[in-house]
Amino acid sequence: MNFQGKDIISMKYLTREEIDHILAKVDQVRNLPEKGRLCAGKVCAMMFFEPSTRTRTSFEVAMRNLGGEVGGFYDRKITSAEKDESLWDTVKMHDGYGFNVIVIRHPLKGAARLAAEAAEIPVINAGDGPNQHPTQTLLDLYSLQETQGRIDGLTIAMVGDLANGRTVHSMTEALLKYTDCRMIFISPRDLAMPRFLIDKCRKVGAQRNITVEEGSRIEDYISEVDVLYMTRIQVERLEERMAVVEKLRSIYRLEAGMLRNARPTMKVMHPLPRVTEIAPDVDATPHAYYFEQARNGLFVRETLLALILGAVQ
Amino acid sequence: MKERPITIAKIRNGIVIDHIPAGEALAIFQVLGLNALARETGDIIAVGVNFDSASIGRKDIIKVENLSLTLEMLNVVALIAPHATVSRIEDGEVKEKNKVTIPQEVGDIVICPDRFCITNHEEVPGKFIVIDGEPVTLKCYYCETEFFGPLIRYKERRSL
Repeated sequence: MNFQGKDIISMKYLTREEIDHILAKVDQVRNLPEKGRLCAGKVCAMMFFEPSTRTRTSFEVAMRNLGGEVGGFYDRKITSAEKDESLWDTVKMHDGYGFNVIVIRHPLKGAARLAAEAAEIPVINAGDGPNQHPTQTLLDLYSLQETQGRIDGLTIAMVGDLANGRTVHSMTEALLKYTDCRMIFISPRDLAMPRFLIDKCRKVGAQRNITVEEGSRIEDYISEVDVLYMTRIQVERLEERMAVVEKLRSIYRLEAGMLRNARPTMKVMHPLPRVTEIAPDVDATPHAYYFEQARNGLFVRETLLALILGAVQ
Repeated sequence: MKERPITIAKIRNGIVIDHIPAGEALAIFQVLGLNALARETGDIIAVGVNFDSASIGRKDIIKVENLSLTLEMLNVVALIAPHATVSRIEDGEVKEKNKVTIPQEVGDIVICPDRFCITNHEEVPGKFIVIDGEPVTLKCYYCETEFFGPLIRYKERRSL
């Protein structure tokens, strides 16, 4: 399997074999003694048209950890996009500056795919609006694998705003490439997993022994799950309904006391940033895994860059 | 049945698109860019609406006095009229008659219904993958939105 020069735009176009190959490589690359020289002389263009904390920093650190360099921009306002330069032209220009790979974040869906068409060099999607954020999904899958030793056969509860959360949609689709999983969607009715996705789970899942169920209380499932994947109630999507947000936040909040009956190996994950959905007292329990999960993002991004730049196979 | 004498004259050289469900001829006219073809070539195009049909009750029909439309170009008709037939007429004779088949991918003939799609904000020609034929379901190549039914809005092709 060769990832050199490949674009990583959408999880939908990665096969299970390709995902497994990437995940297996992560363990290898993160401990390589020569990691610091793998991408020496290579430069990564960061094209961030939208704010980002973890994704941007971890890509930057990842490239430096591999001995490479980063350039580009992190604020649309300082670019010619403010003068209405098209995305196509902006990418074309960067493509000609001698960069070896582009990492792009953009508020519009499909922007990363368009960038990949414009560029000769490979493009990694670091989030195209509410559509795809494949490196987040890969780090989530890696975290499942790392904490549970497998992905097949896991029971995973996803909690919170399942209507608007890109990470949970992408994770759900990715899990459909595996077998024997049990997915539990816990959310208020207003923020439920989209119907088309549940239908797809039932249709595809039937052939892979994957089951889905919907619930409304975290407590009902806490003793049965391997992973509790918490998400933020997205205030920006419920702007005019602050009273609703406050109520939902108090219901969909995990506190240390609720974890008493959890399996010893159960892990709590969260794509971060968290607001109030995980109480700080959970951090001290052996179940908290969200900061390690975020750190895994660094290892996954190092591995992807090394694979795409041909430094490892 | 009441006698209905109105017909469209035969063409000597050109393409006849037949068995179009009644009311869909104008959508096909748009998608194929027949306005542009008429303007740029001066060739005659006749559109018939609500003709009697033994197989589908009522049908539309389009006759184009021009041979430049290939079957490949005409296959997009299948998205709108899955049972349409296309006949190639040369010297007044039917040289070839084919059923249109739904292509696997189509170009800039549809507007992506997702307002957050990059194609609705920048000048990017659309590209769509046909993921189902019954009902016709398209997936935007860029934003990956899947859509069908009334969400499929065809664009007028403005040049040949």
